[in-house]
Amino acid sequence: MENEKIIRKEQTRERLLRLAPVMGLILLFAVFMAIAVIRDINIPYSFKNIINQSVIVVVGATGAVFIYTLGSFDISLGASLCVSALLGAMAYNRSGSLLVMLLTCVGVAVLISLISSVLASVFNLPVFVTTIAMLSLLNALALVLIGANGTGDVIQVPAAAVRGINNVWVKLAVMLIYLGFCVFMFNYTKLGRHEKFQGGNPVCAKLTGLNGKRLAIAAFAIAGIGVGLGAFLTITYAPTLSRNTASSVGMDIIISIVFGGMPVSGGARSRIWSAAIGAVSMTLLNQIMLTLSLDSGIGQMVKALIFILVVFISMSNNKGNILPR
Amino acid sequence: MIQTVEIRNMSKRFGPTIALADVSITALGGEVLGLIGENGSGKSTVTSIYAGMQHADSGEMFFMGKPWSPTSMTDALRRGVGMIVQENGTVPGITVAENIFLGETQEFTRGLFVDRKKMTAQAQKALDDIGAGHISASVPAGMLDFQDRKLVEIAKVMAKAPSVLVVDETTTALSQKGRDIIYEIMARMKAEGKTVIFISHDLDEIMEQCDRLTVLRDGKIIRTFSAEEYDPDAIRTSMIGREIQGSYYRSDYEKDAGTETVLKADDLCLSDQLVHLSMELHAGEILGIGGLSHCGMHTLGKVLFGAEHAESGSFTVHGKTIRNEAEAMKEGLGYVAKDRDSESLCTEASIRDNISVAGLDKFAVKDVLILPGREKKYVGEQVAALQIKCSSADQYVSALSGGNKQKVAFGKWTGRGSDILILDCPTRGVDIGVKQAMYRLMYRMRQEGKSILLISEELAELIGMSDRLLVMKDGSISKEFLRSPELSEADVIRCMI
Amino acid sequence: MKTVKKFLAVLLAAVTVFSLSACGSDPNQTTGTAPAASASSEAEKSGPDDSKNVKIGVLVSDVTSAEALAFRAYYEEYIQKQYNVTFMYSDELADAAAEASAIDNFIANNCKAIISFASADRPAQIEQCEANGVYYAVATGTLTDEQYEKFKSYKYYVGAIGPDLMTEYMAGYNMAKSFLDQGYKYFGMFGGATPYYTEMHIYRAAGMLVAMCEAGKGTYLGASDFGGMIGAIYGAGCQLAPAVIGDVELVGYVGGYDFDDAWFGKLAAVANDPKVEVLLAVGSGQTAFAGFKREGQKLGDIDCYTKDSVALMESGTLNYLAGKFSASIGPIFMATLSAVQGHPIRNAEGNAFAIGQGYWVADNAETAKEYFAVDSSKTEPAYTRAMLDTLYGASYQDFENFVKAYSFDEIKNLAK
Repeated sequence: MENEKIIRKEQTRERLLRLAPVMGLILLFAVFMAIAVIRDINIPYSFKNIINQSVIVVVGATGAVFIYTLGSFDISLGASLCVSALLGAMAYNRSGSLLVMLLTCVGVAVLISLISSVLASVFNLPVFVTTIAMLSLLNALALVLIGANGTGDVIQVPAAAVRGINNVWVKLAVMLIYLGFCVFMFNYTKLGRHEKFQGGNPVCAKLTGLNGKRLAIAAFAIAGIGVGLGAFLTITYAPTLSRNTASSVGMDIIISIVFGGMPVSGGARSRIWSAAIGAVSMTLLNQIMLTLSLDSGIGQMVKALIFILVVFISMSNNKGNILPR
Repeated sequence: MIQTVEIRNMSKRFGPTIALADVSITALGGEVLGLIGENGSGKSTVTSIYAGMQHADSGEMFFMGKPWSPTSMTDALRRGVGMIVQENGTVPGITVAENIFLGETQEFTRGLFVDRKKMTAQAQKALDDIGAGHISASVPAGMLDFQDRKLVEIAKVMAKAPSVLVVDETTTALSQKGRDIIYEIMARMKAEGKTVIFISHDLDEIMEQCDRLTVLRDGKIIRTFSAEEYDPDAIRTSMIGREIQGSYYRSDYEKDAGTETVLKADDLCLSDQLVHLSMELHAGEILGIGGLSHCGMHTLGKVLFGAEHAESGSFTVHGKTIRNEAEAMKEGLGYVAKDRDSESLCTEASIRDNISVAGLDKFAVKDVLILPGREKKYVGEQVAALQIKCSSADQYVSALSGGNKQKVAFGKWTGRGSDILILDCPTRGVDIGVKQAMYRLMYRMRQEGKSILLISEELAELIGMSDRLLVMKDGSISKEFLRSPELSEADVIRCMI
Repeated sequence: MKTVKKFLAVLLAAVTVFSLSACGSDPNQTTGTAPAASASSEAEKSGPDDSKNVKIGVLVSDVTSAEALAFRAYYEEYIQKQYNVTFMYSDELADAAAEASAIDNFIANNCKAIISFASADRPAQIEQCEANGVYYAVATGTLTDEQYEKFKSYKYYVGAIGPDLMTEYMAGYNMAKSFLDQGYKYFGMFGGATPYYTEMHIYRAAGMLVAMCEAGKGTYLGASDFGGMIGAIYGAGCQLAPAVIGDVELVGYVGGYDFDDAWFGKLAAVANDPKVEVLLAVGSGQTAFAGFKREGQKLGDIDCYTKDSVALMESGTLNYLAGKFSASIGPIFMATLSAVQGHPIRNAEGNAFAIGQGYWVADNAETAKEYFAVDSSKTEPAYTRAMLDTLYGASYQDFENFVKAYSFDEIKNLAK
């Protein structure tokens, strides 16, 4: 009887730990609502704001989960988004077509990702090494594109061209379609299962017939789609692009993924929803800091502490108790 | 003889699992006390607590008659109790000398600098003292093979001249030479009036080396046998709580193995691991491969699965050339590696993930889509067939006992219906009950016409299970034995060395 | 466990539905007529309505510069204490998306107006505010002529006060001329954000170069007047270089804000060149050159009045400073508050205003000290409440006259 109680307690503890990110999101939402009511802020507009502010990171980070699941990471995602957006804008200005802009954004982002992963495969390097090189290359490319465009230090798409699609419904649709695609690929296809196994134990994965290099290429390609969609949404939200466009997106993606409960080393316990949960949680936290008028420095410190706490909780899963074999 | 070790009423739980229940053990100076039991019996738990690795929930410990509560393994070793474990305990990125004196470099510090010359010299002496002088103390430990790294761990412990030495299932991973080193150490300590607690699954070994033998089961002391009372059947019965039905290995000696060649290796060469090696495996056959640890048999297993590549020569499976693991699997090969946790399983994943990952192409729709219902059925069949003890298929493999982990490793390949299995030390670190179940499974597969390449360092297992036994020496086949009741371990050993 | 998961899923779905349904609502209920073109003398007499707190968002692209901090101090430590207003500041804004996001945050927090110091995409800012019924004003800057034509009649566009491009040009021109008139011929220049196509710095640099052309009777990039010089600079991709300009010489030039060792090395090389007599900076001259300046060399900068810049003037390190005074953002605040409270200030055509305002120029330490004392005062800044209240609901002409009387002496007279 006592054993059963202990077993149930252990199982409950483990389930709670897995649900901690979702519960954190709900808690943040509750805190936000409480503060919103007390401070009398514009709640409907705030919801729209939260969607606007999180959607780009959600799509970028959800695709990036495939990379992180492999135990790798990509620090050039923000720069990739910037270059994809710049080229997308230039494509629109040449063609006048939003579809061309979308396809250019996605195509360029996927191409950049594939270059990173294929180079790593050819030279037998850890993929993150090539992404470090790509970061410098893409930053330089952004400057070249802006210079070549001949319109000063920005590239612009006419605001009227994107006004019609700069609304919450379009953003939600893009986000949900891509999220649905990623959830499907991650949880219900061979590719997703292989990615998780590869990240969990690459040696065992090889001895189970998995090709690590091909999996990396596929993961980067999927992430590239997310980055491309993020680039498209960036243009619709702010059609004036500069070399600083998306400069913080790369870091926001990493933080969101970890904040959402994704294991830092990837592997079999990776969760595709981590990115969305983390991105929205981060946005809610930012809104709370802002509404409380906390000084920027104090706000950063609070976020850092919560980040450490979240990582600690997600890593505290039964590590301490080792049963001798 | 004085009482050096006393453990009184010790209990320990890991969550819902009772590891020790009111265990009391004593050991005397000048004695080798054996501890035996199935996986999960508590033998490793009680010794690891005594050696400072972890703490008990309740109970008392005494060393040389005084209360004993070490804060860590380093503390315990410093005060006279050392332990050698089964798994890898060296740090690969540093030298052998740095491993031996890990955590103690301040003894060699002069000002800001560490006197490496002195440290290396003392480490070399420690290696020489245990008969492992062939190992250089200045090389990185990662360059050594598993056996030599184990000898480094032994040197580390013996350098402190402990009064109590715990040997926890170390010998199963060692060749005969390595085992002899440990036996010599044990004999020396006994002669010096010191105490050895010896844990092993090998009944013959433990009966040979120990003065007394205590059997544990489910965290409790069942019985202590004195040397005069040693009886293998009685000991086995105490371990599993029931009599073993039937014979342990196969009992048949018919020469009815298939003749159709399913796997053929021709003049394989790979460095000094495989030297012009040729062999054939037939359908419905268990082909044993035995030899000393470094004879190349483990490499052979990897090459035949496509995981490593021979420099010259060729091999085919069903007449087809294999270039990598994926092609091997397509031709019906499966591979259970020697290093279970690192190579056969993803321990952080669930039982379901581990079993299904090798068979996704068998049940995924259009080889892409995974339907939860189909997967559940596929995995459930293996869990039931192999009697894997678990709370559910979603349980993480890391929470399973060694035997159940090995069953999961098997299930990966039996689930996808592999008809050629390469098994490398499949019963290593596995208790008797599970071992017997595995032997039965291997025999059943053989009867179904499947082929098994059984690579093992346990001669009794090879002799007991193989239709043919190939002995390897220095990368080549030195002798082939056919299954026979007259075949003895001595016959085999002669061809190995 | 399934029950818990189901509950969480339903809760999340409910939240999503609630938020989506709320998204369609108009964030700001605005009623009212078109802005009045004429003054409301009653409003002016009664002054601002302090009964209800007004939240104003402030967009800043740079949060740490001395100028930004001085402006913020004026708003937070003087204006916010004098009026029933709360300022909400953005974080540093790297690009147009960050600006849009910051505005969204302000609107969500019920800011009634936004005062903008950020210019990555002003048109987008104005459109965003207009769409959401939030007043928008430009501080210390201006719209281009084209932009002004487009937005001048927008209901929620208040106007712009700041140095227009001609003022920027003249600031650079006058600074260079003051040294040329003293007989100096050899110059080193820091071009600031000129390589980044920042108009403010381009026009200041153009002013300096035209002054050199006039004094040296030469040309730079083939140009010697205002129009030609602007075109030549853009034609060169905003990448300037040393050149001989008749009898005058631009000996050394550094542009950009790399802040790396190479950049500091280039600045040091210009300053240490024995030929260079005067160092001119379009901005941040103290950062760029003060550390490298040689004994006897002169330094002129277009920046703001701070304790450090005054100390540099006193030590003789800095010899000419054209600076914005922190209270210069007082009138735009009052115009914004006036608009929020129903008394927008429009010109005769009923459009938003665009009024130029220049710099306080000090070429000696005493003047600099005097300016700084007023500029940094938390009780008696250049524009006090009493002075600003006269702008509440004022006529366009009165407002314009007030703003244009921006020199130190003119402000002293206004205060009397």
